[in-house]
Amino acid sequence: MWSELRGLKDEIDFGTPPRDGSPVTLDIDDVTVTVPAGSSVMLAAAKAGRAIPKLCATDMLESFGSCRICLVEIEGRGGFPASCTTPVVEGMKVKTQTETLQRLRKGVLELYLSDFPESEMADGWSEFHETLKAEGITSHPYGKGGANHFDAPVDASNPYFLFDPAKCIVCSRCVRACAEVQGTFAITIAGRSFESKVVASQEQSFFESECVSCGACVQACPSHALVEKSLFEGEYKHAEPAEA
Amino acid sequence: MPNPLKPEKSVVTTCAYCGVGCGFKAETRAGKIVRMTPWKEGKANHGHSCIKGRFAYDYYIAPDRVRTPLIRASIDDPWKPVSWQEAFDYAASAFKRIQAKYGIKSVGAVSSSRCTNEEIFLVQKFARAVLGNNNIDNCARICHSPTQFGLTNTIGAGAASQHFDSILQADVIMVVGANPTEGHPVFGSLMKRRIRQGAKLIVIDPRKTETVESAHCKADVHLAIRPGTNVAILDSIAHVVVRERLYNEEFVRARCEVNEFENWTALVGSDKYAPEVIGPLAGVDPADIRKAARMYAGGPNSAIYYGLGVTEHSQGSTGVMCLGNLGLSCGMLGREGVGVNPLRGQGNVQGGSCLGSWPHVFSGYRFVTDDETRLSFEAEWGVPLDSEPGLRLPNMLDAAVAGSFKGMYIMGEDPVQSDPNQHHVIAAMKNMECVVLHDLFLNETSKYAHVFFPGSSSLEKDGTFTNAERRVSRVRKVVEPLAGYQDWEITVKFMNAMGYNVTYNNPGEVLDEIARLSPAYRGMSFALIDRVGSAQWPCDENAPEGTEVLHRVKFPRANGLGAFMLTEYVPTSERTNDKYPLLLTTGRILSQYNVGTQTRRTPNSMWHPEDVLEINEQDAMSRGVSDGEWVKLSSRFGEIELRAKISERVNPGVVYTTFHHAKSKANAVTSDLSDWATNCPEYKVTAVDVVRVTTPTLTRVGDGEKPAIEELEPAE
Repeated sequence: MWSELRGLKDEIDFGTPPRDGSPVTLDIDDVTVTVPAGSSVMLAAAKAGRAIPKLCATDMLESFGSCRICLVEIEGRGGFPASCTTPVVEGMKVKTQTETLQRLRKGVLELYLSDFPESEMADGWSEFHETLKAEGITSHPYGKGGANHFDAPVDASNPYFLFDPAKCIVCSRCVRACAEVQGTFAITIAGRSFESKVVASQEQSFFESECVSCGACVQACPSHALVEKSLFEGEYKHAEPAEA
Repeated sequence: MPNPLKPEKSVVTTCAYCGVGCGFKAETRAGKIVRMTPWKEGKANHGHSCIKGRFAYDYYIAPDRVRTPLIRASIDDPWKPVSWQEAFDYAASAFKRIQAKYGIKSVGAVSSSRCTNEEIFLVQKFARAVLGNNNIDNCARICHSPTQFGLTNTIGAGAASQHFDSILQADVIMVVGANPTEGHPVFGSLMKRRIRQGAKLIVIDPRKTETVESAHCKADVHLAIRPGTNVAILDSIAHVVVRERLYNEEFVRARCEVNEFENWTALVGSDKYAPEVIGPLAGVDPADIRKAARMYAGGPNSAIYYGLGVTEHSQGSTGVMCLGNLGLSCGMLGREGVGVNPLRGQGNVQGGSCLGSWPHVFSGYRFVTDDETRLSFEAEWGVPLDSEPGLRLPNMLDAAVAGSFKGMYIMGEDPVQSDPNQHHVIAAMKNMECVVLHDLFLNETSKYAHVFFPGSSSLEKDGTFTNAERRVSRVRKVVEPLAGYQDWEITVKFMNAMGYNVTYNNPGEVLDEIARLSPAYRGMSFALIDRVGSAQWPCDENAPEGTEVLHRVKFPRANGLGAFMLTEYVPTSERTNDKYPLLLTTGRILSQYNVGTQTRRTPNSMWHPEDVLEINEQDAMSRGVSDGEWVKLSSRFGEIELRAKISERVNPGVVYTTFHHAKSKANAVTSDLSDWATNCPEYKVTAVDVVRVTTPTLTRVGDGEKPAIEELEPAE
């Protein structure tokens, strides 16, 4: 019951919360690994030293299965299941790095990249940037001038963090952190498909919303769309103290 | 928009705000803190945080942080910046002169729950070994001293019986006089997680707090009692437990003193505590009292969490005993998912309690009157120690007003703002010849101080904190102390200036001394904490990495049995009448912390720029008060002005405010009554009236007149 909290490690993101079921043994890329029942294939892969790329998954939140980066091949199963939402089974044989998988991941990442501001690519260090680097994705074949979210206004209403929709990949990690970790349910995804966007309360600014500024969403965001203002030099600094 | 800059270094440390004690990584760039991120391996927070710990840290570089020691001969003089040595010598000679003139016991010390265990221990050592008396108290006096007294007398240990994670195995959660979602937000989130998993929730609180109802979290029973009726309502719950035979007889027979149990059942089982009698008195539906009692006793695992709403009453200790009795009678102690747990307000209140900052006990709650204990301290400290208990803080203030108490060393406290009956505190301060204040900022109390030692924030020093679940975690230095010294060094140097020779190379050596002298901390060391992350006391050879759940086999009392205390309800003498028809109760809000010294210096004030008075629409209408208007709040003790906020959170007859802002001076109206056993002030009940005023007119004592500092460079 506690393993999803107590099994967390600071330097490792297992991708899905640790579990404490009875041991299950499986093969990930021919590496044999034993993990508790209820664990995801993603967690087993991380434990086996075969970490699978991911964007919408993080081990403080239950799996969601939306980013389609963590696809794997499982012997005896059709298709390419998402490793974050697939529980381990005794004797399972998983491949995480086949040519087909790499091609699929590349395609998905290129789609993400096509709606991410080019100017933000060079010196970024978010999980999204690191994932692109790790997968060797530096460009996309979709050209410029297509529909994008680059001009969506930045919400800098909160004195401590800002939300830049241009960098948002709509992975829902912030939404889930607000619900699962903090329990405030202040953030949601409004709209469908390309119109999907992160909104606070009833499309209010973060400051005016029910947000309690716990920082869980900022901690969860993989693309620095939600980011601490204190990390910027110049334009974004903490506001002046109220009672100097 | 550009990309953020990557932090260069990070240091794992412990948040200094509330009693949750979250683990954080303080990230720096070019020697400045650029971000605090929650530490996933922090056992109190598991990677979660709240607005205060995560974001409100910039107070440490606030322009008005005092960076130089200050002295002055009279409180009417401007401050004079001096060297550290000059300040130590000045304070030491003043204390020596006072002791020579007025006696050994004319001086004392007060430590703070904002300070580390090591600092708290050193300040009590300063009082006992250097001043030669036991005049040492700490701010737990005004918040959780009844916890110490009430729990020790029932279950044997004045501390939380559980670890926080235990709540994830609770089936019924009873929150009494606490508002964890605002006061202990990270624990509040854990509690809500459990409630979303299906646990039932009972809340006893005059106010409809966010804990009572929020998204996907609603109390099954909310007993919105009239302030001051805690003991009545808890006795009434016990009445139902006894009359309906809901208690755990097997547990009582095996683990408790049966005679006392029978005395207790006779008392609470009597007709005067029937819900039908107490319900109308406390302003709640008798059926809800029965429902709460059945729910709690039914468990199977029921856990009690309580806060200052229980302790800060004239029957605060009795209220705590009621909770101890309930836990014992229903067998809700000694395993996961149950327990009786105080939610400690400040980061290190538990440490303040544990480490001997009390006039009557050494660290580990061992009496100064006990020869064997005292001898062990004398052997370690090399000086004879006084066997007579010293003065409590309120008694020190009384003695100061009376003229027999003349000097005080106050570390990290602002009694003028935070203690009840402000007028009395000020009179006491003015009557002393040397008040040495050791703090980050000049504050309300510094107006009456003669020496100011500029302290270090928790980001600038090493040490340990003990959180509300008895967890000892490391505080690690992230940046250099702004005024040059870490707080523990300042206290040691003050001791040296007083002529007591002692040196420590680092605060780890102080913790080693604590471990040698305090049974519960025997196994604690920096090395252990560095290895396992944090450890809950008791930590000794039987539990080398600490203890999560207390009382599994027996209670830490002489015979190992739990004791039932008789908890007769005695109404407070602070009552409403025609002139003061409303009851004021006080509390805190998420974005501000305590008297606001830190949070008011951050953008957190954007959420809570001033204290407001919550008033029910009915009471507001009958007084012609509209939302946002200024009102005068008056009591038998004083009056203040603040804005009204019409709110359904309070019932008719009850008003509520916070005490985060010095300018609103909420404690100018609170009563001077206190807990019968421990002197913990009755902040939670004051008879008041509210009158609409057109514009604020009251002269605000000291408002706007910043103490002048001679030649002090304005900080960048």
